[in-house]
Amino acid sequence: MDNIAGQKSSLTWAVHFSVVVLVLLWLLPTLGLFVSSFRSADQIASTGWWKSLFSQEQNVVIRAEKPDQQKLLDELYVIEGNLFAQDGAVEGDVSVWGTSSKDISAYAAGETADLGEKGRLTVEVNGDYRFVNDTEFTGSRGQRVFLTATTPPSFSLTNYKHVLSKESGTSSMSKAFFNTLTVSIPSTIIPILIAAFAAYALAWMDFPGRALLIAFVVGLLVVPLQLALIPLLKLHLQVGIGKGYLGVWLAHTGFGLPLAIYLLRNYMVGLPKDIIENARVDGATEFQIFVKIILPLSFPALASFAIFQFLWTWNDLLVALVFLIDSSGDTTVMTRQIVELLGSRGGNWEILATAAFVSISVPLCVFFAMQKYLVRGLLAGSVK
Amino acid sequence: MKKTLMTGAAMAALVAGSVSAQDLSGETITVSGSWLSQEAEVIEAVFDIFEERTGATVKYVGSDSFEQQILIDSEAGSAPNIAIFPQPGLAADLASRGFLTPLKEGTAEWVRDNYAAGQSWVDLGTYANESGDEELYGMFFRVDLKSLVWYSPENFEDAGYEVPTSMEELKTLSDQIVADGGTPWCIGLGSGAATGWPATDWVEDLLLRTQTPDVYDAWVKNEIKFNDPRIVAAIEEFGAFARNDDYVAGGAGAVASTDFRDSPKGMFASPPQCYMHRQASFVPAFFPEGTVVGEDADFFYFPSYAEKELGNPVLGGGTLFAITNPSEGAQALVEFLRDPAAHEVWMAVGSFLTPHKGVDVSKFATDSARSMNDILLNATTFRFDGSDLMPGGVGAGSFWTGMVDYAGGKDAMEVATEIQSSWDALK
Repeated sequence: MDNIAGQKSSLTWAVHFSVVVLVLLWLLPTLGLFVSSFRSADQIASTGWWKSLFSQEQNVVIRAEKPDQQKLLDELYVIEGNLFAQDGAVEGDVSVWGTSSKDISAYAAGETADLGEKGRLTVEVNGDYRFVNDTEFTGSRGQRVFLTATTPPSFSLTNYKHVLSKESGTSSMSKAFFNTLTVSIPSTIIPILIAAFAAYALAWMDFPGRALLIAFVVGLLVVPLQLALIPLLKLHLQVGIGKGYLGVWLAHTGFGLPLAIYLLRNYMVGLPKDIIENARVDGATEFQIFVKIILPLSFPALASFAIFQFLWTWNDLLVALVFLIDSSGDTTVMTRQIVELLGSRGGNWEILATAAFVSISVPLCVFFAMQKYLVRGLLAGSVK
Repeated sequence: MKKTLMTGAAMAALVAGSVSAQDLSGETITVSGSWLSQEAEVIEAVFDIFEERTGATVKYVGSDSFEQQILIDSEAGSAPNIAIFPQPGLAADLASRGFLTPLKEGTAEWVRDNYAAGQSWVDLGTYANESGDEELYGMFFRVDLKSLVWYSPENFEDAGYEVPTSMEELKTLSDQIVADGGTPWCIGLGSGAATGWPATDWVEDLLLRTQTPDVYDAWVKNEIKFNDPRIVAAIEEFGAFARNDDYVAGGAGAVASTDFRDSPKGMFASPPQCYMHRQASFVPAFFPEGTVVGEDADFFYFPSYAEKELGNPVLGGGTLFAITNPSEGAQALVEFLRDPAAHEVWMAVGSFLTPHKGVDVSKFATDSARSMNDILLNATTFRFDGSDLMPGGVGAGSFWTGMVDYAGGKDAMEVATEIQSSWDALK
């Protein structure tokens, strides 16, 4: 007798709990990627992102200043400084240290190590060191110091600066950004225009073979676009379109049309018949009905398809590679630019994380601006 | 001496006569390849010299999916003028389908005379065309040396180890390190979709050290089967390193799952996770930031067995230029690669080796690069990376996955038989 209306079932809590768990699980990789995007390559390679949020004990190797920095004080050769002042080093508190890779915790902070002929080295808790010798220091590299230090969390915006400002050869990120917009916007508008007309005709105009035509369009939905890549490119080259914006717009339009027509037609069929018949009786032409009645009423469906198509063209790499990016290098898109930033052997992991968030920003804005239509539009045609 | 002078003079005349005098202003030459950031900037610097001399415009576009891209573009007829192939197998494939244009006459003679081990570079760039006739299509530029072992000299010094000069000594050293409580090797096979390739280099290197070069050549052509006892022995030789829990950082189980880009970092960790790392000449790109090659990190030649008397075999790889869309400028650009200046630009930047005998070795960025190039020029046997020469389904497919299986504990004979049957299926 738990399920009396008005009373909350105890299951509600289980449901809420599992929703929270699922959402967290779902967001966890994104969160990791986000944290990683603020870390350097060496940090990523040495510890996991979950550890970077807290201060931690780390073993690091830092070099003292090179021998050419030595000073002569009271007949002693001295190299002084702070180990954490080196490039890329993260400040911390030294607990133990050593000078040999075989024994990295030979001395406690504050102790002096006697390295024989090489000199005497003292390292303090805050990383200050003093390296003293009776004879001149030689060599071209500074003494290695192995530190065991507790370091606080450290993040930087270096990756973002690198991704946003990198001018690599023929192309830069800002150019790629505008190129991507040049691809995405027409590739979203053109299919919507055509599909809206087609959907109206297929929904409300009587002509022979209409049902067959609808079945054909639905059938096209299952054709994978990869099948068409090379034949379509050959066709483009034969007709003289070649590789370029026109080609990629046409390709995106073609690949997007079946879904667009199907979605819009099902939505338009569900509009009240009376309105349209009234308009016909009042002497409206088909075009007037379409523009004045159908279009305003179908706005949710149009908007939701626009979001789909925009996201797809924004994130697309395959179609751009085949139909747009030619060997001149002037027409690169963002997805391609990001791949290029990864380097010849794909090792620049930190760039990948950062670039993902740079690239995601525009689709996120589009999504939040239009999301109220997305939910309504998703139901298009499914509920009458 | 007189002869070198003569060739030098002839070359100068050639350079002066054909490259600098040619006026190509207004012409655009498109080039695509797999070099991305860092390397892409350097190759553009090389092309800048060419642009200055001829007035032509060279546009380079790099792509990480170059192998697929060039196939699509050739197939559709929108190929760039020149493609820079990372391995000869793909170029041979395109040549046999009629997508490549033979290089100018005389190129073969020039390569034979001016590259160290010239004939082998000609052979590697010569493929059968559509009608089965052999022609020279590829000009090699930039070579990678694979038979190198990287180490940290300071860690060796701390522990009192010496650089080994023979395979026997290398194995003794490995045992010594284990006895001292350390781990000798860092091995990582992970590389995304190409996981397993570092192991193929190991097997090829070890095959060259246990068998004669003829066996290697026959194996690459599959005249000697993959499951031949000699090949299986080489795979097991690799297993002696990679499947030994004491030898490998993280244990044998970590070999297949460690990324090859991360594995060398173990040498520079505190305390060091391993002492040695066998990898090609490009690997310093993945050392921690600020590592200076020659001081913080150094390399030695992956030694051969002293008792086997097989000389000093060297395994390498290389990239080649081929013409995918013929034009006057494209031929001129390939010809420009004969000019030592084209090689010296990159030598000055680093991680570039060249078999060109006419270059000024003082232009190398570091002494270590110079000594690396010496290994290349002094090799008694130079062999190209076998997996790059095998058909794609094996060399970039079953060989990779087979080695991952082997590293994971599968029997060597079983793995070799599977690779052989995948090769048979391709015929």
